[in-house]
Amino acid sequence: MEASLRPPLEELENKAVWLALLMLGIGLHVFEAALPSLGPWFKPGLANLMTLLALVWMGPRAAFMLAVSRVLVGSFFIGTMFTPTFVISMSGGLTAALVMIITWRTLPGISLVGVSLLGALAHMTAQFVTVESLFIHQTALYYILPPLLLLSCFTGWINGALAGYIAGRLKYDSIR
Amino acid sequence: MITTQDTPPQSLVQLLRGSWIDRALLIVSLLAIAAVWFFIQGSIASGPPVAEIYHGDTMLASYRLPGPGQAPVHFAAEGDLGISEIVIDASGVRMTASPCASQRCVLSGTHRHAGDLIACVPNRILVTIRGSRDNNLDAVVE
Repeated sequence: MEASLRPPLEELENKAVWLALLMLGIGLHVFEAALPSLGPWFKPGLANLMTLLALVWMGPRAAFMLAVSRVLVGSFFIGTMFTPTFVISMSGGLTAALVMIITWRTLPGISLVGVSLLGALAHMTAQFVTVESLFIHQTALYYILPPLLLLSCFTGWINGALAGYIAGRLKYDSIR
Repeated sequence: MITTQDTPPQSLVQLLRGSWIDRALLIVSLLAIAAVWFFIQGSIASGPPVAEIYHGDTMLASYRLPGPGQAPVHFAAEGDLGISEIVIDASGVRMTASPCASQRCVLSGTHRHAGDLIACVPNRILVTIRGSRDNNLDAVVE
């Protein structure tokens, strides 16, 4: 009777992996907040690695929930909860997660590198649109967007390759 | 769930090459970004260098960047949280004080190029630079 109430081992393993990814994502989120700024609202996007891994291993729903939870809990730790920084970060994270999920499911032949590239571009663009529409109301804000998008291409590409490497390495090592 | 595979994983260098569709997406993205960048620079780099200060959608002030030896301009921009102190001198534009918590706007330093900006989102203050010193000619002699 008691045994039937216990969740299956696979479900528990999935939850454990998701929570581990969330903890790593929050750690990277806090680490990135402490880095010197390369430009307004620009970050290397290391925390997004965990969303990419969740997308590959557990699917879109887990990846989306991870992106939302990471920004929520990460903002709590760095003291930006419900501030403009939180709104900007959440809009970027949600848009990037949605774009990555859609491209991963719909574009045949795309790898994590391409998914991460589009996610990074969506993240940066969404942040600027949020700032312009909710806070500053000046299109002059977009003057600085192209150079930051160029940087996002670079970091998105590297992060995608890193996520692919980690995913491949863990798959292979787990049977050795 | 992590599924296993018995073939060795790709190296990081191989992964960095991406698939053909990744590379196509990168090229399209770079071309689009470059086109937008050139368009923006073309539209804002003409004329003498001018610093424009906004609070939300309202322009508070517009100052021509002083040349070497000219007196600096000190401007107090009233935002949602309080006063943001802005200094415009020969070296460029910088924010010297802000009521926001993060102080990222103050820490971003001096800006002098067309398209540069200082944004204080909590205080809703934006400072942008239009124009370039290259256009700031007193006379043209042949």
